[in-house]
Amino acid sequence: MPLSTDQRERYSRQTELQGWGAEGQERLLESSVFVAGVGGLGCAAATYLAVAGVGEVVVCDGDVVERSNLNRQFLYTRDDLTRHKAPIAAAQLRRLNPDITVTPVIAEINRSTAQGLIEGADLVLDCLDNPETRITLNRAAIAASIPMVYAAVAEYTGYLSFLNPPATPCLECFVDGTRPAVHPPVPGCTVGVLGSLEAMEALKFLTGTGETLAGRLLVVEGAVPSFDVIEIERDPDCPACRGL
Amino acid sequence: MIIYLRSGGKLKDRLKPDVDQYTRRIEVEGDKPLRDILNEVGVPDSLVAFAFINGKLERLEYRPVDGDVITLQPPVSGG
Ligand SMILES: [Zn+2]
Repeated sequence: MPLSTDQRERYSRQTELQGWGAEGQERLLESSVFVAGVGGLGCAAATYLAVAGVGEVVVCDGDVVERSNLNRQFLYTRDDLTRHKAPIAAAQLRRLNPDITVTPVIAEINRSTAQGLIEGADLVLDCLDNPETRITLNRAAIAASIPMVYAAVAEYTGYLSFLNPPATPCLECFVDGTRPAVHPPVPGCTVGVLGSLEAMEALKFLTGTGETLAGRLLVVEGAVPSFDVIEIERDPDCPACRGL
Repeated sequence: MIIYLRSGGKLKDRLKPDVDQYTRRIEVEGDKPLRDILNEVGVPDSLVAFAFINGKLERLEYRPVDGDVITLQPPVSGG
């Protein structure tokens, strides 16, 4: 659908970007992105997707807001403690951009729910906080042939990649999903950087601008500080994407 | 042979850097996987998710060659 006068003005600072244009914006407004987890990464990623005009942003999280979330999960306030994250995040995102649909889903992502939850999405964003659920999401994304943006953080460290096997490695080609979940220290700025970069990968992919991190891993070491882009390859023995 | 192990993140303290604040020089006897070298120098391989060398991701089975500068990355799973 052609952009309205309001939309042309609202999105003008990004449609001016080379290759984006009204067509790219229209594509974005027709896209659906599944944001798996609206914790630290998810708050940042979903916010930039929403204000950029991604037509449908699905925010999925089974957790409630805890006081220790408030240093980094900026869509929530003290008034939201003990309430489910997904509907609060959705309401905030709608306020930021009434032009789009934000769908809250209160659900745990596990082997029996993952595939159904991501169905219909053009892209999945991994904004999760533990290895086991990431692996489950990776398998569901492969089965549904939906590309996935991976990010993970701890302290000042962050990793990011664009996964779309068989053209790229899948998550299990280079991440060991059997490691135990830990709750590392995470300053808000680290998830802010990595969550924003997840949104950047999504917007590049959906508008066809720039180059994604397909086949590459961004390693952010904020303490140094350093940003390295590393080549990654498919593992021929990968339990998840072998045979694709 | 001599290799250099680097870490800017939480592995830095384990690595005990001596070349600069992120890098440790290691003399390695014989041909062995990175995993064994790490365990010998007091960096348990359970603390290392992967390593990169010359812009390429390598697994801990990688067998270093003389002069390698190997950056170690910790497992990271938060969000
Ligand atoms: Zn794989």
